[in-house]
Amino acid sequence: MGKFLLRRMLWLIPVILVVSTITFVLMHAAPGGPWDRDLSARQVDPATQKMLNTYYGLDKPLWRQFTAYLIGDIDSEGKFDCGLICGDLGPSYRQRGLTIQQILFMPPEEKSIIYSRFGYSMRLGVYALLFAIIIGIPAGVISALKQNTMVDYLSLFIVTIGISVPNFVMAIFLIIIFASTLHMVSIVPRSWDEVSVWILPAVILGFNTMARTARLTRGSMLETMRQDYIRTARSKGLSERVVIVRHMIKNSLIPVVTILGPALAALVTGSFIIETMFGFPGMGRAYVTAIGQRDYSMIMGTTLIYAVLVALANVSVDVVYVFLDPRIRLD
Amino acid sequence: MRSKLFVFVSFLILASFVLAACQPAAVTPEKVVETVVIEKEGQTVVVTATPAAEAAETPTLRVNLGSWPDIIDPQKSSFVNEIAHLKMMYEGLTTLDAELNTVPGAAESWEYNDDATELTFTLREGLKYSDGSLLNAKRFEYSIFRNVDPATAGEYAAITDDIAGAKEWRYAEEPTEEQLAELKAGLKVQALDMAGNACVDYEQADCRILKIGLSQPAPYFHTVMSLWVTFPAKEENIAEGGDIWWTSSKFHVGNGPFVVKSLEPYVRGYFEPNANYWGGVATYNLEFRYITDSAVSFEAYKNNEFDIVPLAAEDLATVQNDATLNAEANIYPGSCTFAVMFHQLKEPFTNQKVREAFAMALDRETWVTDVLKGLGAPTLTWIPKGFPGYDAEENRWGFDPAAAQAALAESGYTVNNGQLLDPTGAVVEMVDTFSDTPRNRVRHEWLVAKWKEVLGVDISLNPVEATTYTALTKDVNTAPQLFILGWCADYPDPQNWLSVYWKTGAFGERIGYSNPDLDAKLVEADSTVDPVARMPLYAEAQKMLTDGAPVAFMWNNVNSYLVKPWVKGIVQTPQDAGWPGDVAPLSITIDTSMLP
Repeated sequence: MGKFLLRRMLWLIPVILVVSTITFVLMHAAPGGPWDRDLSARQVDPATQKMLNTYYGLDKPLWRQFTAYLIGDIDSEGKFDCGLICGDLGPSYRQRGLTIQQILFMPPEEKSIIYSRFGYSMRLGVYALLFAIIIGIPAGVISALKQNTMVDYLSLFIVTIGISVPNFVMAIFLIIIFASTLHMVSIVPRSWDEVSVWILPAVILGFNTMARTARLTRGSMLETMRQDYIRTARSKGLSERVVIVRHMIKNSLIPVVTILGPALAALVTGSFIIETMFGFPGMGRAYVTAIGQRDYSMIMGTTLIYAVLVALANVSVDVVYVFLDPRIRLD
Repeated sequence: MRSKLFVFVSFLILASFVLAACQPAAVTPEKVVETVVIEKEGQTVVVTATPAAEAAETPTLRVNLGSWPDIIDPQKSSFVNEIAHLKMMYEGLTTLDAELNTVPGAAESWEYNDDATELTFTLREGLKYSDGSLLNAKRFEYSIFRNVDPATAGEYAAITDDIAGAKEWRYAEEPTEEQLAELKAGLKVQALDMAGNACVDYEQADCRILKIGLSQPAPYFHTVMSLWVTFPAKEENIAEGGDIWWTSSKFHVGNGPFVVKSLEPYVRGYFEPNANYWGGVATYNLEFRYITDSAVSFEAYKNNEFDIVPLAAEDLATVQNDATLNAEANIYPGSCTFAVMFHQLKEPFTNQKVREAFAMALDRETWVTDVLKGLGAPTLTWIPKGFPGYDAEENRWGFDPAAAQAALAESGYTVNNGQLLDPTGAVVEMVDTFSDTPRNRVRHEWLVAKWKEVLGVDISLNPVEATTYTALTKDVNTAPQLFILGWCADYPDPQNWLSVYWKTGAFGERIGYSNPDLDAKLVEADSTVDPVARMPLYAEAQKMLTDGAPVAFMWNNVNSYLVKPWVKGIVQTPQDAGWPGDVAPLSITIDTSMLP
């Protein structure tokens, strides 16, 4: 196991290198730069723009900017500024003075890291995933066990809605029902310390994953139910509960777990829509707006975080496989 | 049997989560209002939605500002939502009144020398920061130096380039330390005591004079000094907080009407009245929230979770069909003019008659009604209504299809099967470029349809990504043949509209505009000290600009907000930054007896 994990961790290095190279090339290929602003306002004057480019090293050749980002560079005082290899994600060009680490990982005054943008996104992502698992897997199991009954059809109906309705439509729909009409929650959270204010964003964010999980679980269950070893288990006189829990569900979860890993990474890195609608202080909005703003360091930083999370999630999935199916070996 | 039991238990789990999700929130809007009314007996009713403010004794004005500011540093900020925060915490030497006149702020008076090359401010006596510490002229001297200092790289630094020595310092190419000291010494900004001696430090109470030398006559410069770039943030706080000083409320010790108490990124900015503000003490606390989705903001407003929200064009019809909401709509002129830009150096707009034809083919009234859904005002001139220099009489190049066709015929250009042919018969490809958003698609489809209808010319649409569009339109070499652009006032003076934008080498250069006669007229207007004599010169300049039809003036924006009826005393101005009434926040009160 240890050897496997070490090998997979080492694989992260080329992954990061390739992702950062592609991202760097693509973002610099797009016209415009971080100092291009709303056209109805005064634009940054050439002298200031030159000063800013010099300060941030944007006046250097692209290859030099790239190596400075990855490895580091000598600053104007002759000191070596270590780059990504030291965990430095670079300065933000829009929130001047702040580094990308500070924007994403620094909590507000006198609060812990779970109040940072990454912390908020991580919490919301985990809640959304829990919702997806807790609702999606039982719904899929029940659907399969009750195939072609009303329960199955109801589940299919909900799953279809979850997959086909965009989350911004669902968000405004649920806001109107639960906040505007029933007054069960407030639309603008007074504080994200209240448990109730997380329910709508987590449900909306996790709904699509829940639907896909339910669908996949159902299909996988139906396939497993027809396997020889299930028939053998029954013929051995095992109780139906044991057959379902130990043999059917456990073996059906392998494809489900496969999608849940990347789903966690996607949910944790946030959702632009959810954050925009609920004023949620996560990192999804930073990810999307940085592209339009040409905040190069933020684009690189959030993309790399996403890549690392996806890679780590896939490693976790591989580890979970072993527990689900003893035939699978990591080494 | 066990299988059924398992199914039943699974259902129970599923149902329990669904029911859990439907549990009432810990605090409902009704509960907040009810609790406070009983405990505080009306006099101190709190409208805030935050538990912290429930205990407060003053009501809270809850404003949805839209987006969280990128930076809240007086000398580095440039966006409306950033300025909205700064204007609450700080105040400049001058400020604006409801009619956009420049009136005393931290300074009680100012005077120019005879040729308007020197401006002397006298600060109010006994000015204090919100923490009770002294605010003297030395603080403003520091702020102006910090704004000009290239090391600050303020995005609006150029706005104080009229100060003698500012350009030299800002444009200096890698100066040595000695040169730098010289450049710094050359900036003509000096804080003086009442006897005329240079001030020593920030503790000097009689340091109330600020003398500013100008590189050219600039009789409008006292208005520039109302801008946020000169707001006196404390040097020691900036030094202590470092590059990120502005992220912490404890370093924002200001001289404005409010004191920031907390800045929770992307969630909430909370302000309380500044008891040391010279102009009086506000009667409410202020809460900014940052909901960018207009549909959600609108729902929250209807749910009494906000007192003031921006009114989006998408919600206008709903508001107009609802008597209550319609009465709460505040729609009034804004500070921007938008125009269809004709690239003067690209065919066919090198020809004035073609520009006239394209301008006269557009019906601005229909544009505002059908495309902007009423959220705008048609215009045929550059300076908007409500601003000094507005020309209500200008009516040239307005919608006139017959005149448009005649102008095109006169230009020598012809149309054949939708193709525009130049006088030699060569086809001129026509492309309308715009920033690709659903709203802009509708707008530009309307424009090309109108040109097709009136002039018969086929124009293709070229949607590009927003920042790409900005990058393209900034440079005369890459600026498109045809596009829409706007300008919003930095400060209410015709100099900001005409000289800053249309002088050769200024912003108008992006479409290749250069008019030596207009330049001369603007130089004359800019340097005329007497305001009575100055205004007619700008009026002439504006007519000279319109003479050549360099652009088709289209519309002025409007500020549109929804304001709850218990919010009283809002002073609306076109220069409102992010919410109505921010020019005169002290005039606002909350009638707690009207709270639901």
